[in-house]
Amino acid sequence: MHHTERPGPAEAPAERAAPAEGPERPEPAGPSRRRLLAGAGAAGAGVLAGGLAGYFAGQGGEAAGSTSDEVVPFYGAHQAGIATPAQDRLAFGTLNAVSGATAGDVRDLLHAWTSAAAAMTAGRLVGEDTRPYAPPVDTGEAVGSPVSRLTITIGYGPSLFDHRFGLAGRRPSALADLPPLPNENLDPDYTGGDLCIQACSDDPLVAFHAVRNLARIGMGVVEHNWMELGFGRTSTTSSSQRTPRNLLGFKDGTRNIKAEQASLMNGYVWVGRETDQPWLRGGSYLVARKIRIFVENWDRDYLQDQQNTIGRVKVSGAPLSGGTEFTAPDFDGTGSDGQPAIPAHAHIRLASFEHNGGTRILRRGYSFTDGIDPQAGTLLGGLFFIAFMKNPAQFARLQQSLAADALNEYIQHTGSAVFACPPGLRPGQDWGASLFA
Amino acid sequence: MHTDGYGGGRGARWRPAATGIVALASLALLASACSSSHGSSGSAASAHTTTVTIDLTPQGCAPKPAKIAAGPVQFNVTNTNAAAVSEAELRTSNLAKILGEQENLTPGLSGGFSLDLQPGTYKINCPGASVQHWNLTVTGKASGASWQSNPQLAAAVSSYGSYIDQNAASLVTHTQAFCQAIDAGNMARAEVLYPKARVYYERIEPVAEIWGSLDTEIDGRWENPVTVASQFIGFHKIEQLIWADSTLAGTPKLCSALAGHEQQLLTLVRSAQYNPLEMASGATDLINEAATSKISGEEERYSNTDLPVFQANVDGAMEVVGLLQPYLQHKDPGLLSQIRQRNAAVATLLATYKASPGYDDTGYVEYSTVLDPQRRQLSTAVNALAESLSKLSIQVSS
Repeated sequence: MHHTERPGPAEAPAERAAPAEGPERPEPAGPSRRRLLAGAGAAGAGVLAGGLAGYFAGQGGEAAGSTSDEVVPFYGAHQAGIATPAQDRLAFGTLNAVSGATAGDVRDLLHAWTSAAAAMTAGRLVGEDTRPYAPPVDTGEAVGSPVSRLTITIGYGPSLFDHRFGLAGRRPSALADLPPLPNENLDPDYTGGDLCIQACSDDPLVAFHAVRNLARIGMGVVEHNWMELGFGRTSTTSSSQRTPRNLLGFKDGTRNIKAEQASLMNGYVWVGRETDQPWLRGGSYLVARKIRIFVENWDRDYLQDQQNTIGRVKVSGAPLSGGTEFTAPDFDGTGSDGQPAIPAHAHIRLASFEHNGGTRILRRGYSFTDGIDPQAGTLLGGLFFIAFMKNPAQFARLQQSLAADALNEYIQHTGSAVFACPPGLRPGQDWGASLFA
Repeated sequence: MHTDGYGGGRGARWRPAATGIVALASLALLASACSSSHGSSGSAASAHTTTVTIDLTPQGCAPKPAKIAAGPVQFNVTNTNAAAVSEAELRTSNLAKILGEQENLTPGLSGGFSLDLQPGTYKINCPGASVQHWNLTVTGKASGASWQSNPQLAAAVSSYGSYIDQNAASLVTHTQAFCQAIDAGNMARAEVLYPKARVYYERIEPVAEIWGSLDTEIDGRWENPVTVASQFIGFHKIEQLIWADSTLAGTPKLCSALAGHEQQLLTLVRSAQYNPLEMASGATDLINEAATSKISGEEERYSNTDLPVFQANVDGAMEVVGLLQPYLQHKDPGLLSQIRQRNAAVATLLATYKASPGYDDTGYVEYSTVLDPQRRQLSTAVNALAESLSKLSIQVSS
């Protein structure tokens, strides 16, 4: 693989904090693409002359005051986009290596992706080249958009560790396709992948731009396998967030692991010393499930039955056993009729850690739609479920329990993939060198 | 690439000399639009740019000033009250080639275009005015490094001109044979000769597109860009009649007109001058075309003879690479090797569809037998090749 215009070396967050210089510096602010471009505009004569000295002027400086200018650090012990408070929007792409791609190609690609991801998550373009007769290195649609807490999280699918790239010996034993699971009818067009890119941001265009540019950089080495856009988060991953609702109209993620719960993160989310592949320590497994919700049927269900199906009160989110949203469900509690307050087949009962030997996962899903089912004329949409965990077996166990879920009448799993997400990087490290070490 | 999608229903206009500058000017405008210091935006864009004002009037389109220095030029075109005139084109002095244009200016509208002009004499052309052609003189020294002084680039450009001429000439002779079969009422023979003529066009199409309307007349597809039945007259109309309607009725007249348009093209290319940037971006355009209209089967939707013209697109692009090879070997051997490697991947896939004598004697199977998963493979390989080729333009420009 050969890059004539490789993105520049990744910069540490510290470098971004350097004060901006030059008379064209716009108002002090956090790193937004809008401000970067304002800098370029004021220095327009320089741009026409081919110079870009002032392009990044103005991106350093004071901490951002608004959410939209907020930068999530790219470097750290863990990849961003897992414990990060869930952003509003998702662009998720899976890619496969093209036939003929070599280990060196994949390693170089992961190197280039590292630089590009570091740049984009800091609010910079993937590369700069305003020479009139070169295609722009960055596709450009995010110019002017604040970085909006963009995170880029990558993962390696089981197939990456087959015979092609000499990685068979680096494959964690827990990384394998999921076994057949209840209530699934998987579409091969939405299943698997050698690599995945999860881009999350509060701005959909910024998230999309990240996946598009990484895929473009990969052309000739990888090709798109499938892609999904999520338009609304369905989980809270931080105690600082309010609980959002999924397309069922119910609050989702009330009992999710929160990033602040370090012992749960270490116990259920981050890969630790138990792995047989030390390179994965500090990483996590990503399970993606495309779950179609038959919303028309659900919407016809009467309220009490919807609540019995989930096990919660629709508006307040309180468990049917009483209290408020964050009251722990009492699975032993009974109603005035003597029946369990939370029915035996309620979703929150069967999915609970109490019902699954303590098993938990960090959910980080999004609502999605693919438009209208051309055959049925009904909505093609639902929950693009993403969860992070120490071992994919955690998800398999929970999904086995959900075989009896009352909700199954209204949903179907139509896509599935598992990826091992490597740990975070320090400045100077890159994904390629770490995987092929 | 039959249309750029915003050509107002006319053929695509390829403006190689202007493309980059237009893009750059757009960036600067976009930048200033977002800038808080809005007052400085105009001066930023105009610091090195000469402005030429053109008022469209019933009498003509005199450029003001009519004599300027070489370099970036911004043309501002305004139509105050000329009902019969709606566009201004910048053409080479022999009028053969459109370098830049502003179309669709009805009275009250204004617009413009920008490009980088080398010294010489140019014509402003405004169809419908009482005096249609106006001189523009550009003085001074050519800007930037001159490719003419690089023997490898100069040789490549010269050979490219010959390649274009040869293919245009073969296009004419093979189309004449196609027309003879049609005139003789021999549909089976016409079916075999149609793709044989098409390949010569598909090797050099980006050059033919320089002359906008000729491309539409020769190669226009229904709805791309032709939406008026009377203007659907080229190869693909004949293709529709033969394969979809199973008739030769009306085709002799169409074929005769087609051959006439090709003869015009041949005359134009014989006097045309090219440059390395045109060669490089033309190579990318050819593969982009293969990646879109050939992969989808849209190009030869009636005849299903997409594979030989797919091959022709690749051949035309790789001819450019071959001609530039002596230059690229020093300039960017890594890029050259990547292009060769990705072309080999395309060739390997294409080879799996070769057949003898093949569908309609094309040497390939019928494209409708190539199923979606196989088209996907071809698409992936050809997109990777196009991505590499897109990096040629800067290598031959700097």
